Amino acid sequence: MENVVELKSVTKNFKGFSVENIDLQVKKGFVTGFIGANGAGKSTTIKMIMNLLRPDSGEVKLFGLDYTAHEKEIKERIGFVYDSNVFFEGMNLKDIKRIVAPAYKHWDDTLFYQYTDQFKLPLYKKIKTFSKGMQMKASLAIALSHHAELIIMDEPTAGLDPIFRRELLDLLQELMIDGNRTIFFSTHITTDLDRIADYIAFIQNGELVFNQSLNDVAENYALVKGGMELLDRDTEKSFVHIHRAPTGFEALTGNIKAVKNTFGDSVVIEKASLEDIMYYFKGGIHHV
Amino acid sequence: MQIIISNSSKEPIYEQITNQIKSLILAGELQEGTAVPSMRKLAKDLRISVITTKRAYEELEKEGFIYSIVGKGSFVAEQNLELMREKKLKVIEEQLIAVITNSREIGLSLDELQQLLKILYEE
Amino acid sequence: MFNLIRRDVILQKRLLLTFLPFILFFIFMDVHPTVTFLVANIFIPYNAFYYDEKAETNILLNSLPYTRKEIIGSRYLGAIVYMVLAVGVTSLALFALNKPFTMTDIAVGSGLFLLFAALTFPLFYILKPGHITTVILFSFILLVGIGPPIMSFLAEHLTAITDFVANLSLPVLYTGAVLAIVTLYGVSWGVTTMIYQRKSF
Repeated sequence: MENVVELKSVTKNFKGFSVENIDLQVKKGFVTGFIGANGAGKSTTIKMIMNLLRPDSGEVKLFGLDYTAHEKEIKERIGFVYDSNVFFEGMNLKDIKRIVAPAYKHWDDTLFYQYTDQFKLPLYKKIKTFSKGMQMKASLAIALSHHAELIIMDEPTAGLDPIFRRELLDLLQELMIDGNRTIFFSTHITTDLDRIADYIAFIQNGELVFNQSLNDVAENYALVKGGMELLDRDTEKSFVHIHRAPTGFEALTGNIKAVKNTFGDSVVIEKASLEDIMYYFKGGIHHV
Repeated sequence: MQIIISNSSKEPIYEQITNQIKSLILAGELQEGTAVPSMRKLAKDLRISVITTKRAYEELEKEGFIYSIVGKGSFVAEQNLELMREKKLKVIEEQLIAVITNSREIGLSLDELQQLLKILYEE
Repeated sequence: MFNLIRRDVILQKRLLLTFLPFILFFIFMDVHPTVTFLVANIFIPYNAFYYDEKAETNILLNSLPYTRKEIIGSRYLGAIVYMVLAVGVTSLALFALNKPFTMTDIAVGSGLFLLFAALTFPLFYILKPGHITTVILFSFILLVGIGPPIMSFLAEHLTAITDFVANLSLPVLYTGAVLAIVTLYGVSWGVTTMIYQRKSF
């Protein structure tokens, strides 16, 4: 399968924080959700994908091209939505369009007005009077109006009301129908992903924990509940993290088969949500 | 094509889809050669991810229920309904034998068993 | 590139309405035409920096299909383009109000502007946003306020240099000045591009 984004052993060091050895592929024609706690390295990774940050080492390729020789060509094919407003606050949407549109060869005015209509965005009101949701819609309208093949979004659903969140997911699904588009977006609202993500990339403390299809995540990870007497040094190895309580243990496993082999019917195995997975990887809580 | 999926079911979503499409085919509601929606369209309609419908279609293809033509989409494959029926019958036979064995173990008479079956069947 | 230069006008649409009154103010105050040309030239490019400082412009511009070279190039080329326009408008205003001015006023005003731009543009990419406008304002006052006294001080005390300068014929002096400014502007352009290419946003 074709990769639209490819990161190879990408490392970036900051004072007190680093993103280490990231190998990440974003597959063409699919939605990849990028999850991780705040400060895990999501924005840093996205900035490196957008060439706003240069990695200290490693390789970043988009559409098989690298930034040193093909910066314009790559960005021509990307639509971006950031979590903060990057447009001039004092300007209205029409003027922002006037600034952004000529930058793209394939800008489509008709499409832009179709989206501003659909999102009910006023063209002559200053951006700073927009609510957070409206600002996001404005960014989205701009990101979608030049027939981008790759749409990169940093926390697009943060600060949106549940109704618009659903509308956004519907819209994104509609965009995916022709199969030529790829979406990569970071979020910490994992319920958004259950519905539309095909692949989940999970980053923690600057390291990529996994990048798997939603099916594989569901087939590998599960919550296991059982009596404390079942736990010993060997059996504990099947778990990512164990939460112990007087009533029994609850743990996350990344290998359901192994757990079934070890414990058989003596434990309850339940579907783990993405939230469960993030929580247990973080180390969970250690008290009752 | 009507498909109803449940998010709270224990059965994975792709399996819900494959099972329902299989039933539609076996019941003759989806005829041989009929186009089924593209996996991307189905994903959008069901509001689930493409990878899930992709998996469902792959399973259906593997089991010979549908076939795909690149650029054209997926279609219902020719089904040997007679053969399928025979296969199913064989499975039912085996299950009934197990039921009979179990019944004998607890001394359930044929009459009682028949009655039980009647009640369950009509439920 | 042209789009990036044009961007400054769209951005300053409203502010540009104050351009003419601003120039007229200097003219009515009977400020020396050289200074009028200088402030007229400074108006658009520096306001552009002021606007960009407030928004996350660098993130926006670098996410659009522009290279970092082009973004800096548009600043340096734009400054020249807007200088030509400002000189035109200011000349027309002076002419209409019957205020005398010479080509030398234009040349010195524009020369000083380019010199000032060459020295301050890199600062916008070195200093942290928020401090920049203050620093520039301060250095401008420095240039206009204590620049001339320093010059006259140098003129009196460093006779070797002044003699050398005074002995040059006018054409040589002007050519030398133009060459020096152009070189400095070019070097500044190159340095800023280098700085900008290493930046993280």
